[in-house]
Amino acid sequence: MEGKSYQRLPRVKIREMRDDYMKFELRDTDASVANALRRVMIAEVPTVAIDLVEIEINSSVLNDEFIAHRLGLIPLTSDRAMSMRFSRDCDACDGDGQCEFCSVEFHLRAKCHSDQTLDVTSKDLLSSDHTVVPVDFSDSAGMESSEQKGIIIVKLRRGQELRLRAIARKGIGKDHAKWSPAATVTFMYEPDIRINEELMDMLTLDEKKAWVESSPTKVFDFDPKTEKVVVIDPEAYTYDDEVIKKAEAMGKPGLVDIIAKEDSFIFTVESTGAVKASQLLLNAIEVLKQKLDAVRLSEDTVEADDQFGELGAHMRGG
Amino acid sequence: MVVMKAMGMESDQEVVQMVGRDPRYSALLMPSIEDCAKEGIHKQEQALAYLETKVKRFSFAGASSENDGRVMTVLQDVFLANVEVCQDNFRPKCIYVAVMLRRIMDAILNKDAMDDKDYVGNKRIELSGQLISLLFEDLFKTMIAEVKKAVDNILTKPSRSSRFDFAQCIIKDSITHGLERTLSTGNFNIKRFKMDSKGMTQVLARLSFIGCLGHMTRIKPQFEKTRKVSGPRALQPSQWGMLCPCDTPEGEPCGLIKNLALMTHVTTDEEESPLISLCYCLGVEGLEVLSGEELHTPYSFLVLFNGNILGKHRKPQHFAAAMRKLRRAGKIGEFVSVFVNEKQHCVYIASDGGRVCRPLVIADKGISRVKEHHMLELKAGVRTFDDFLSDGLIEYLDVNEENNSLIALYEEEATTETTHIEIEPLTLLGVIAGLIPYPHHNQSPRNTYQCAMGKQAMGNIAYNQLHRMDSLLYLLVYPQRPLLTTKTIELVGYDKLGAGQNATVAVMSYSGYDIEDAIVMNKASLDRGFGRCIHMKRYCAVNQKYDNNTQDRILRPNRDGFDSGPMRVLDDDGLAAPGEIIRRNDILINKQVPIVTRGQFKSALNDSEFKSVPQRYDGPQGESCVVDKVALCSDKHNNLCFKFVIRHTRRPEVGDKFSSRHGQKGVCGTIVQQEDFPFSERGICPDLIMNPHGFPSRMTVGKMIELLGGKAGVSCGRFHYGSAFGEPGGHADKVEAISETLVRMGFSYDGKDFIYSGITGCPLQAYIFMGPIYYQKLKHMVLDKMHARGSGPRVSLTRQPTEGKARNGGLRVGEMERDCLIAYGASMLLYERLMISSDPFEVQVCRVCGLLGYYNHKLKTGICSSCKNGDNISTMKLPYACKLLIQELQSMNIVPRLKLAEA
Repeated sequence: MEGKSYQRLPRVKIREMRDDYMKFELRDTDASVANALRRVMIAEVPTVAIDLVEIEINSSVLNDEFIAHRLGLIPLTSDRAMSMRFSRDCDACDGDGQCEFCSVEFHLRAKCHSDQTLDVTSKDLLSSDHTVVPVDFSDSAGMESSEQKGIIIVKLRRGQELRLRAIARKGIGKDHAKWSPAATVTFMYEPDIRINEELMDMLTLDEKKAWVESSPTKVFDFDPKTEKVVVIDPEAYTYDDEVIKKAEAMGKPGLVDIIAKEDSFIFTVESTGAVKASQLLLNAIEVLKQKLDAVRLSEDTVEADDQFGELGAHMRGG
Repeated sequence: MVVMKAMGMESDQEVVQMVGRDPRYSALLMPSIEDCAKEGIHKQEQALAYLETKVKRFSFAGASSENDGRVMTVLQDVFLANVEVCQDNFRPKCIYVAVMLRRIMDAILNKDAMDDKDYVGNKRIELSGQLISLLFEDLFKTMIAEVKKAVDNILTKPSRSSRFDFAQCIIKDSITHGLERTLSTGNFNIKRFKMDSKGMTQVLARLSFIGCLGHMTRIKPQFEKTRKVSGPRALQPSQWGMLCPCDTPEGEPCGLIKNLALMTHVTTDEEESPLISLCYCLGVEGLEVLSGEELHTPYSFLVLFNGNILGKHRKPQHFAAAMRKLRRAGKIGEFVSVFVNEKQHCVYIASDGGRVCRPLVIADKGISRVKEHHMLELKAGVRTFDDFLSDGLIEYLDVNEENNSLIALYEEEATTETTHIEIEPLTLLGVIAGLIPYPHHNQSPRNTYQCAMGKQAMGNIAYNQLHRMDSLLYLLVYPQRPLLTTKTIELVGYDKLGAGQNATVAVMSYSGYDIEDAIVMNKASLDRGFGRCIHMKRYCAVNQKYDNNTQDRILRPNRDGFDSGPMRVLDDDGLAAPGEIIRRNDILINKQVPIVTRGQFKSALNDSEFKSVPQRYDGPQGESCVVDKVALCSDKHNNLCFKFVIRHTRRPEVGDKFSSRHGQKGVCGTIVQQEDFPFSERGICPDLIMNPHGFPSRMTVGKMIELLGGKAGVSCGRFHYGSAFGEPGGHADKVEAISETLVRMGFSYDGKDFIYSGITGCPLQAYIFMGPIYYQKLKHMVLDKMHARGSGPRVSLTRQPTEGKARNGGLRVGEMERDCLIAYGASMLLYERLMISSDPFEVQVCRVCGLLGYYNHKLKTGICSSCKNGDNISTMKLPYACKLLIQELQSMNIVPRLKLAEA
């Protein structure tokens, strides 16, 4: 199988980066790699989420499962998740998932004493580990930090009480969406838009304007000074073909030529806050590497199983 | 004719005059006049004598006593009972008969004059009050009759020991019991009218809010639905605005069971006498002063009040206008209808109960009386609907009176002839059909299907739903308000008690698990709570008291030892504790029943005199449910009663049924990981994928518009509307406007998106129609239906496996399956299915007589009981049912003989 190498050296260019949002370009690679990255970010980057809830007192209007489900969906800061153990592989606690290596304990005690309804939010969750806490959105939002109160779990009326113990564990989005660190991961092919200037010059002003307007997104603009149509934002193009149809309707097919560049992608990553968007990408690459390692190792021996344990077998299984 | 004569109309000429002097009428009357003459009936007495022979002997106590007056009484009380006879004056009755005759002849001469019995104006709806009053009347009369009998019995006795006490003759509570029985069984049994109908009372369906509302607008016909006539089932043009054209069940009762439209009002009885005197005041000439000839003079109309002839009026239009003016002024009841029938030369005034009517805006010469400032006052809350009514801006019209009016659908369409304007076209649909967005764009049966399905949707049922102890309750965990609403939804409150969720739907093919309307669901959506539902079921237990002063008892659970496992959920009081997780076969209540429950009076019982009968939870295997609440109460017989509500939260699984609001149901075909789901470059990933093959044949264009409108709604942040026929009135957004919004928000105008495959990352070949559609989860779930068994219980009679899931029954290899196996020649499989796996039985057959013998265990041989020996016995296998058949035939004196041969 020796021969031509298909190795390419992808380039990444970060365009915009915030804690929970990142936009970057990925160039010189295939759709398969881009998609693998996307899939891993959604489904296989581990995070920590509440997995086990023991309810002591619940006199709220929502029932136990309901509250447990809501608790599970609260994103927890999971920077430590990569180094944590899955509770099923944990040696320290026989897999019952109650040790410090694989779990974090939370407590919630809330009772409403006033006549106003009390909002029990993710802020009321008390963690046993300061590195794993409910995600705080106030800092990222910035402005009205005092108003930010976290995610509402349940509302209590006078006399209602909620007391529970919750255990958060490491997991991946494949098992349950609550472990998915990504709110949105999507990519698009970078469009390559070429306006045929010759044909364009044949259009009247009104026609040019009408043509520019025909695109539902603001991709083109009409420059009144030069009286030329310019591409202002090629990425706003949604491959809707509207401009091409319009050009055909105007009797000028080939007015614009739009192709998707097969090897450059624009990624948009939004994180739930469990991991920073940048870290999410790095973690995803790390997980992807591990998976590839497992594939490479399993190629020649089954001995890899000794080394990678269940993970290796799992990876080979797909 | 004889009847007329019997009623004192001896002159043939008068009769003919009354009917009308048109020669065509007289020609039709001629044969009866001739008959009369032939029979020699000229005088009233002769007519009565003639009729006497025809009258059946009634067992009326009164009638039989005065023999010759029997015909008279029949004529007086039974014949046309609605026309009163005062002081032996039969004239009103004669006139009534004459008018009837005239109508009949009209119908003979001219088919158009025929009345339509399916015409809604000719129908009356019976409400509960009327039915109960009827029932009460019947019960009261039977009670009176019984009391009379009892009193007669006592009084005829020669010697009475005690003083006669009338009160003792009255059977206590007979009316109460009668009413209670009727209400609890729903079997109305009124002897007087020979009325005997079942299902008159129904328990209000509380499975869904909409089902409950729909149940309350339902109309059931009286006659049996077995007849295969299309007339009453067909959609009547006259039911416009009164009865919902969509909402009717499918199948046998299709078209017979109807539902009221949104604004329909069913009238109740109104007092007649003031209205009658009012009519006379307004210039109605009474019958007394009219000769037969005058009845039918042209340009004068008969005035009929609730079916009785009051008299005639020379200026019917003026009369009707005056009546209507009075009604609008509120001087007479708003539900009194005045209807001028030009064809029949009649004015009908109706104040009786059971007519359907609806409100309409009054227009003068095509200009609506409701003006801008009225609407502003309404919005400000100063004015209510009743004010509109009392101010004469709006009035109720019944089906008949609608025929006298010209109703414009919209104000703009009104001409000078227009008398009324429709309030809103969406009100022609009922409550349930009102939930459908853009129903006027759908193929009509789809709306009908949705009406049946909307009642099965899960969601909220009421604000007190968590405090109720319903026997079965389905709730949605996160119910949503539909993104695409209608005015009806807002009026009804469905936006507050919704039954569904706005799912982002991609209309595309995916994975092959979406054939036959199956949908593909996104696992991440399910994880996050889409379609998650709560299923609550009530279980009851009674602490029974017995005749011998013993009663059941409830014991503390034993925490260790035998049964401690299933008793896990019990509290110290022996009842399941709320909040405990309960599994199948766990004990709900640790109850013990005394062994002896009859006979002698006993006081205290020992432990040994009780046997343990714990009630076990029989929920689905392998699922963990939770005891939601426990209620203690006492039942009818004053026994202590325990009610347990068991809650089970379910997430959707493959096979659960979902439906949009357009009669498009489908089961979940497969659940796919989010990363495999297609996504758009905006990061939108659908919640479910629907196969496009669902559209062409169903023609549910409304669903497509819902998708567009929903998509525009989420992107611009405004709820869009899709009320029925609402486009001109501004209650439904037009597709054009929606497309503009979509384009403004950077979507394609046609609602299609550029989508990438989640599996490969490559763009899909086609643009995908994607957007939010309100999806309902229907109550049919796999978990409740899934069933399989290996060996299990058998029916004792045939020794075949039991039937049905509830009895852990087997799955039947039916006639058609058997046919397949026969055709395929799979005889061994057939043998196994029909005998080995069902009811094999070993029989002893006598080779000589061919009858079944028995096996004698002492002699260890089979013996034929008819041959009295065991010499020629063969042992063979037979289905037990076959052996049973043979024996049953024998018991009927038929001898089936088995002839055995070597195989």
